[in-house]
Amino acid sequence: MTEFISGISVVCFAASYLVALACEASRPLFRSGLRGAVLVGFATAGFLAHTLFLAWRAAHEPNVPLSSAFDWYLLAAWLLAGGYLWLLVANPRTQVGLFLLPVVLGLVGAAQLSSRAPFPQSPATQVWGVIHGSFNLAASVAVAGGAVAGLMWLIQATRLTRKRTPAQGLRLPSLELLAATTDRAAWIAAWTAAAGFVSGLVLNAVNRQRGLLETVPWNDPVVLRMGMLVAWLIAAAIATRALARRPEAARVAAWLSLASFVVLTASILWGVLGTTRHGVPPTQASALREVVP
Amino acid sequence: MTLAFVGGTHRTVPLALRERLAFSAEQAAEALCRFRDRFPGREVVLLSTCNRVELYAAGEEAAVPPPAEQLVSFLAECRGIDAAVLAPVLARESDEAVVRHLFSVASGLDSMVLGEPQIVSQVKQAWALAQRTETAGPLTGGMFQAALRTAKRVASETALGRERLSIPSVAVADFARGVFERFDDKRVLVIGAGKMAHETLRYLREAGARDIVVVNRTADRADRLAARLGGRPGRFADLVAELAAADLVVSTTGASEPVVPADLFARAETGREGRPLVVLDLAVPRDFDPAIGARPGVWLYSIDDLGAACEANRRSRQREMPGALAIVDEETRRFMGDLHHRSTAPVIERLRAGWTETGDAELDRLFRRVPSLDDAARAEIRQAFERYAAKMLHSPLASLRNESRSGPPHGLLDALKRLFDLKE
Repeated sequence: MTEFISGISVVCFAASYLVALACEASRPLFRSGLRGAVLVGFATAGFLAHTLFLAWRAAHEPNVPLSSAFDWYLLAAWLLAGGYLWLLVANPRTQVGLFLLPVVLGLVGAAQLSSRAPFPQSPATQVWGVIHGSFNLAASVAVAGGAVAGLMWLIQATRLTRKRTPAQGLRLPSLELLAATTDRAAWIAAWTAAAGFVSGLVLNAVNRQRGLLETVPWNDPVVLRMGMLVAWLIAAAIATRALARRPEAARVAAWLSLASFVVLTASILWGVLGTTRHGVPPTQASALREVVP
Repeated sequence: MTLAFVGGTHRTVPLALRERLAFSAEQAAEALCRFRDRFPGREVVLLSTCNRVELYAAGEEAAVPPPAEQLVSFLAECRGIDAAVLAPVLARESDEAVVRHLFSVASGLDSMVLGEPQIVSQVKQAWALAQRTETAGPLTGGMFQAALRTAKRVASETALGRERLSIPSVAVADFARGVFERFDDKRVLVIGAGKMAHETLRYLREAGARDIVVVNRTADRADRLAARLGGRPGRFADLVAELAAADLVVSTTGASEPVVPADLFARAETGREGRPLVVLDLAVPRDFDPAIGARPGVWLYSIDDLGAACEANRRSRQREMPGALAIVDEETRRFMGDLHHRSTAPVIERLRAGWTETGDAELDRLFRRVPSLDDAARAEIRQAFERYAAKMLHSPLASLRNESRSGPPHGLLDALKRLFDLKE
C-alpha cells in the first residue's frame, strides 16, 4: 500500500482531471448514458490520488507540512477539485466542471513550474508562516471560485438576454446563485488576502526584529504584487457592495471577479517568473542580493 | 402466434368521432370482459387516451385473434357506433407491425406532442387493466413489458422528452429558473385574467412560489381571480408599488394598449433597489413596453419570445427522432426474435423428451445387464448420458435460435419434425 501511495505522481491526478474535463466538454456534442459514470469515476479517482499525494508529502516532509510553493498550488487545486466533486454529485446536470477544471489544471501546471523547496522557517515564526500561507491560499481559492461563478453568470445572462433555451448539455446554475457566489467570493478574497498580507508583514517584521531569517525588503516584487493584489481585491469587494442596490450590480460584480482573477494570475506569473527574496532560503537570498542591486 | 391491432388516433379519427370512441376506465374494463367472453383463449389490451383508442389482440396457433374487421365491429359495438363509420378511419396491423407501433406509441413517437411522457403511464394503466380483467397473457404481457423497456431506453438515450414544449413550462423552467434559484421567497404578481396565467402559476407553484398577488382593473374580478389562483388580491391603482415589490410578473390582460408603459415602469424601478425582475408578458397585444426589456436587471419575455423558444425545442425533439426510431427498431427485432423462438418451444420440448426417453430406456437396459454397478457409478453414467444428449442437441437448437431472429423458422421446424419423427 505504501509503495502504491508513494508511486502516485502529479501526472496521475492531472490526467484524471483532464479526462473529466474532456467528458464535460463532450456534453453538448453528444448524449451518452456511460459518460456520467466515467465523469464521476475519473473526477473521484483524480481527487483521491490528489489527496493521497498531498497526504504523502505532508507526512514525509521534515519541515512544516506542505510549505513550498509547489504544495501551495496543489493545495489550492485540491480545494477547487473538492468543490467541483461536491457540485458534480449534488447537481450533476449543471456543467460547472467545464469552467472549474481548467483552473484546477492551471494550478497543477503552476505547481509543476514552482519550487518544491519549503519556504525558510524558524520555530519562532512558524505560526505566522502558517497563518500567512493559509490566508493567501484561501484568498486565491476564493478569487478563482468567484471568477468561475462570474464567468458562468455572464454566459447565463447572455443566454437569457438572447431569449434562448439552455443548449443541450450546457446547463448552468441560476443568476441568483451565481451572483450570490460571486459577491461572497469577492468579500472572502478581499479579507483573506488582506489578512494574508498583514500576517506576511508581521512575519517579516518578527524575522527582522529577532534577526532570525533573511527578511524580505519592502520593495521586493512579491511584496509589491501582493500589496497591489490586496488593494485591488478590497476595491473590487467595496465596489461590488456599493453597487449592490443597483440593477447592474450583478453584471459589474461578474466582470470584477474576472478582473480579479486576471490580476491574481498576473501576480502568480510575476511570482513564478520574477526574481524575489520572498520564500528563499537565507544562503540563496544572500547570493540574490549580490546579483540584484 | 399472431398479433393483431386496430386503432385510431388524432391523425386519422376526427375529434367528434374520437370523443364517441373514447373509453372511460369502467367502459374499458367492461369491453375487455366482453372480449374475453366472446373470444375465449385470446389476449387483449385496450389503450384509450384522449388522442387514441387502440385494441391489441394476440393468440397462440390454436386460438388466433379475430380478424381485423371483427375487431373493428367489436369496438363499434362497444361504443354504440356504426361499424361502417368507424372502419374507414381505423388502422389495422398484424404481427411485427403491431409490435413496432406499440413501441413507438409507448415512446411518445406517435403522440400529438412528440416525446410527451404521459403516454408511458397510460400504456402501463392499459396493461394493468387487462391484467385485472384477466385478458392479458404471456404474449401481450411480453409485448407491453418490452414496450415500457423501449420507452425507458428512448427517454434515457435520447433527448426526445427533455425540452419543454408549452409556453408556460418553457417560461418557468427555461427562463424564470435561469434567473432565480428558488421561488419560495419571491413575490409573483399576476396582472389580468388571461387563461395562460393559471397554467403558468401551476408551474410556479410547483417550483415553490407561495407569495402571489393578483391585480385587475376591476377589483371584484381581482378578488375572484385571487381566490381561484390561490393568491391575494391587489389594487390596480397600486400597480407601481406592486411592480416595485414583485420579483416575477405574469401579465395576461386583454388591454389594447400597454398596461405598463416605460414611464410607469421607471417609477416602479426606483423602489426595486436593483433586484432582478422577470416579466412573462403573455398578452396579445403586449402589456409591457418592449423598451422595458432593455433595462438592466429586467428579463422580459413576450409570448413571441416564448413561442420561438418552444419552436426551437420542437425542432430539437425532431432531431432526436432518428435515434429514437433506431431504438424502436432494435427492440422490435429483439422482441420478434424472442417471439419466433418461443414458437419453437413445443418442438424443442418434444425433441428433448424423445432423447430423454430413449436415453432412459437404454440406461435401464444397461443397468439390468450390469447389476453389479453401485449407485455412484449409475449416477455417473446417467450424468454422462445427459451431457451427451445436451451436447448433441446444442447445434440444432442454436441453429433454430439463429433462424428465429429473421422470422418464424418453419423450414427448420419441419425438418426437425421429419428427421426425428416428432408427432404433434
